Amino acid sequence: MDAYLIAIAIVSGIYLLLALGLNLQFGLTGLINFGHVGFFCVGAYTSAILSTNGVPVAWSLLAAALVGMLAAWPLGVISIRLREDYFAIASLGFSEIVRLVATSEGWLTNGVQGIAGIPRIFSGVTGQSQAIAMLAIVTVFCVLAILAMRRIVRSPFGRMIEAIRDNEEAVKSLGKDPAGFKMQVLLLGSMLAGLSGALYAHYIGYISPDQFIPFITFQIWMAIIMGGVGRISGTVAGVIILMVFLEGSRFLRDIAPFIPEVAMASIRLGAIGLALMLFTIYRPQGLMGDYTKR
Amino acid sequence: MNLTRRQTLASLAALAGSGLMPSLTFAQDAGTFRIGALNPITGAGGPYGTGMQKMIAAAAEVVNAAGGAAGRMFEVFAEDTQTQPQAAVLAAKKLIEVNKVQAVLGTWSSGVSLAVLPLASEANIPLFHCSGAPALSVAPANEKKLGYRFQATNDRFGRAFAEIATKEGFKRPATMAFNNASGIGNTEGFEKAWKAKGGEIVASVVYEPAQPSYRAELQKILDAKPDVIVMGSYIADTTIILREWYQTGEENTFIMPAWAGNPELVKALGPDVVEGIISVDSISNEGSPAFAAFDAAYQSAVGHPGLTNVYAAMTWDMVTVLALAMEAAGPGADMAAINAKIREVANPDGKQVSSFAEGKEALKSGPINYEGASSVLDFDEFGDVTPDFAASFIRSGEIKREYVVTL
Repeated sequence: MDAYLIAIAIVSGIYLLLALGLNLQFGLTGLINFGHVGFFCVGAYTSAILSTNGVPVAWSLLAAALVGMLAAWPLGVISIRLREDYFAIASLGFSEIVRLVATSEGWLTNGVQGIAGIPRIFSGVTGQSQAIAMLAIVTVFCVLAILAMRRIVRSPFGRMIEAIRDNEEAVKSLGKDPAGFKMQVLLLGSMLAGLSGALYAHYIGYISPDQFIPFITFQIWMAIIMGGVGRISGTVAGVIILMVFLEGSRFLRDIAPFIPEVAMASIRLGAIGLALMLFTIYRPQGLMGDYTKR
Repeated sequence: MNLTRRQTLASLAALAGSGLMPSLTFAQDAGTFRIGALNPITGAGGPYGTGMQKMIAAAAEVVNAAGGAAGRMFEVFAEDTQTQPQAAVLAAKKLIEVNKVQAVLGTWSSGVSLAVLPLASEANIPLFHCSGAPALSVAPANEKKLGYRFQATNDRFGRAFAEIATKEGFKRPATMAFNNASGIGNTEGFEKAWKAKGGEIVASVVYEPAQPSYRAELQKILDAKPDVIVMGSYIADTTIILREWYQTGEENTFIMPAWAGNPELVKALGPDVVEGIISVDSISNEGSPAFAAFDAAYQSAVGHPGLTNVYAAMTWDMVTVLALAMEAAGPGADMAAINAKIREVANPDGKQVSSFAEGKEALKSGPINYEGASSVLDFDEFGDVTPDFAASFIRSGEIKREYVVTL
């Protein structure tokens, strides 16, 4: 049981880093990013390629965050000024391009065969202590990211991006440049996604392009919508809710043995869909949403 | 309905709690042996996963009806990999840690098996899988030799294609591969073996999945005037490619794996289009008693012929091989002892058996050799099977096996 709970906690932490980045972009700035998984993919491949070629894991993690951030630069330059829904399409396209590059550039990414044998973060320890060490690292990154987010929300920068979200025209009329701020937000969020991807690669130990499908992006979207958009506590709650649904439903069969094994998988997806609908009907601002504003 | 934040939080906490509680009350029953059925119910493996899982349950019932393996009844815990490594890792951890399964059976795609095998090895339990990637044979993935592959590697399929192309006297082969590890593994295995025989490939193309048309890719291949096109493909894309190929009026033929060239393909396209196609399969031992038993179970559980799901035949064999190895190791044997017996009960030089009950009886008087429903199941030192391959030709809408290729 312990190892299973630790595994859930590690995956939740990896999702939380992704969700924090997306919350910064969508929740605080209003940037609709449907291509979050692209930066996750870039980070995972960067760290996997470097570390399988002998670069120490600490450096490859750093490189993954940086490359994840840099990968957002061209997307931002081309499309940050697009109206929000157009940016959503451009970013979705971007993440598919990243996946196709990973599929096709076999010399770099080993193509569809994927990269196997990615070193663990603490290669010295094994078994349970390995998992606990991994959990510790993920937790440290999550705590740091949450502290950084709180800092951002309370800073002048945070007020500015919220203003951009609420009324971009008004911000322009004050002589500010929304595009510049949006770009910074895009880069920061992508950096978190890159780091998250690297942790994922080192935890799972094997990556291939078909792991980086848009479905991951939308799982993160589900988490922040259920938790409460624009709230850090909402992001944390949302990721927890998502994992409870994804993993908790595994145990449903143990309580309700009359459901056949094969139907269970479909019921799980159905339950998540139902929850998402109920949230949009009864709690449109999410669990931790901001109910002071309308 | 107006929920407060507090109420919502409380009910979610209750939901989470109720989900986790029963797992704490599990008791370990010495009389049962828990197996984990970890199959691709949703995702890319969806068309096969349901049948695979049902066959694990059905084969376990057969073993239990015969009195259990070494006196222990099988209890099956089922999970969905979603054909995603990350979901599979969590599912495997749940099976191993919470349900305390002692063997994990039936992972499908290579990505999933590569992610799950280290977990199973860490827990010292075997993983029986149906994945093609060569990396699964060797260290680091298979360092403890607990991984067993019930599917021929993609490379072996490719070699079989080359043998058949030689035998049929083709001179100008071209290849088309679905862009994933399995599709490319097939055609690369073919290209390697073909070039080793001194042949040349006139054209090759790798195509992206889920396209409405493959005309551009097909044209590139046909421009090189091949006499045969070797496919590393699946049924959905093959159907589209063949329809478009037929419209061009070209005369070449095709060699393809049996999961593409199957009765469903004939049904979808009609006998004229598929005339003369060579469909290659690892020998599923149709006609063998093991296959007949599997086919009957598959018909009654899923309602389709057993031939439509080669992977379900593999999961059927997984349970049977595991049960026979346990029987051979004797009552109370630990996993290491059972693992040591797996090759012994499946490889040659014993009495040939084709069901658990038969094997159980024969084990009393000497060694056995289980001949499975999916293949003759002889594991090499890496835990891989090298089945014989059958070349079947589609003639007038009927798929008929004409000869056997031994690698």
